[in-house]
Amino acid sequence: MERQEIIEGLVEILKTIRTIDQEKLKSVTEETDFIADLGTPSTELINIAAKAEQKFDVEFDDDDIDDLGSKVKDIVDLIIRTKEKG
Amino acid sequence: MEIKGRKVAVVGMGGVFPTCANLEEFSEKLFSNKSLIREWDKALEQDKKIRSKVSGFVTEKEMNIEPVYSTLLENYPEVFIDLLNRIPDSNLSTADIGSIWAMLASLDAVKMAGWSNNETQSEGTGVVVGSGGAGHEILRHAWHNFFELDKKSRSVGSHTVDRAMVYRDAANVSCLIKNRGVCESIGSACATGLGNIGYAYRLIKFGLQDRVVAGGVEGTSLETFVGFDAMQVLSRGFSPEESSRPFDKDRNGFVCSFGAGIVCLEEYEMAKARGANILAVIDNYHNNSDGDGDMFYPSFNGQQRLWKGLLGETGTKPDVVKAHGTSTPAGDAIELLSIVDCLGSKDYHISAPKSQFGHMLGAAGAVEFITAILMLQKQKVLPCLNANHLNLEQENFQKTDKWQGPTSPLADFRDILPQQSFEKEINYITCLNYGFGGTNSAILISKDNS
Repeated sequence: MERQEIIEGLVEILKTIRTIDQEKLKSVTEETDFIADLGTPSTELINIAAKAEQKFDVEFDDDDIDDLGSKVKDIVDLIIRTKEKG
Repeated sequence: MEIKGRKVAVVGMGGVFPTCANLEEFSEKLFSNKSLIREWDKALEQDKKIRSKVSGFVTEKEMNIEPVYSTLLENYPEVFIDLLNRIPDSNLSTADIGSIWAMLASLDAVKMAGWSNNETQSEGTGVVVGSGGAGHEILRHAWHNFFELDKKSRSVGSHTVDRAMVYRDAANVSCLIKNRGVCESIGSACATGLGNIGYAYRLIKFGLQDRVVAGGVEGTSLETFVGFDAMQVLSRGFSPEESSRPFDKDRNGFVCSFGAGIVCLEEYEMAKARGANILAVIDNYHNNSDGDGDMFYPSFNGQQRLWKGLLGETGTKPDVVKAHGTSTPAGDAIELLSIVDCLGSKDYHISAPKSQFGHMLGAAGAVEFITAILMLQKQKVLPCLNANHLNLEQENFQKTDKWQGPTSPLADFRDILPQQSFEKEINYITCLNYGFGGTNSAILISKDNS
């Protein structure tokens, strides 16, 4: 799965989080920070992770979720890494 | 302790009421002797699993609220959308349906109070709002998915706690209006609504707060309904509008209803100084416990002590008693006899608003407090709808040696139980509410005569 394809999938998830300013989702890149740039409440990050597990058919380790950064590239990396682990 | 001379005014009110778009429609329907009780499709769907099929319910659609269901869990309302944009999405994300009603009612009440943002957001402003039930709809689906369907804890999302915690209604209102004073919930079962208002009254009377947003909420919940249905205490066998019939001899249970009532209280002199429209003055609040060791059965002695605590030696006699009047066999009889024991059987009237909209549980005391304010404003008494036939014979408990109260049958008090709304000079109203656990609450309000 290409990284850009994953980012587009993440944006679809972010569209369902109503506390995120939807205007800001038009320019999401790998460097976009969920908290600093999108103003995502920190309580929503686990919801994004759980929805990403469903959308990309992966299951994250609890340790990986604990260590997850708040940038888009961090979760893209985790999705790819988890998929590679099988 | 009370600070002498410090008085408490009611300056705002708002609510969520069955079949009504707003407070004006609620008032119009009540004083037109209408019933707000309907057959409930959610109960009908359960067919023989549920005995009672009627309720004063409020749907999400009627409140212009739309649920968004989770893609991760079955039947879990992940968040609600306010189609009229009255509440910001950040506040909606932490709210169950009852908390949303509390917020909507609070916005209306604060608007009516006319408080500035500085006043609302000061340390002198508190929020005291409670609910009778838990966040059942949130919890049921979340726990079913975790325990029965083997989903991970994170799949239920991060808002199960804030949307279902005991003081969720107060917390959500506080986060919405951004007050800096106290934020708490009082829980006392079906006396919750009045208990929160009474506690708020004391916060102001004792000098701890200058303003409080107070009240009770009961979000529509089939789970709540099922719990009471299982106890065999809900009304059945009548048409919807005839199902709630406090004091009538054929009453066989209460109508389980839902709604919200929020009022704004303010220290009287501050309200007066800013030219506020004072809807009523709270003269006293008293609450106690039966002391009988009985979770459910009402106590004549407990209610006698309640009246004594409320009126003391003031010599005040209310023009109207807004009764708890649930339409349960024992509750109504004990209540009527305790009122008569204290006030006699003349020169006042009893109003039972549950006859028109059922029993809103944790919201009941607050919504019925609002009906008392409306009675003061309109100078009209609300009826005991469907109290058509009163028992000509003594209640069984009146025939026992233990009974210490009036021995007259309920039919002797026909004159103080109006079946229709009517005009009358009203200066004082007492509101009564009781709850499981033997808890009793009473408040005395009056017209502002200054």
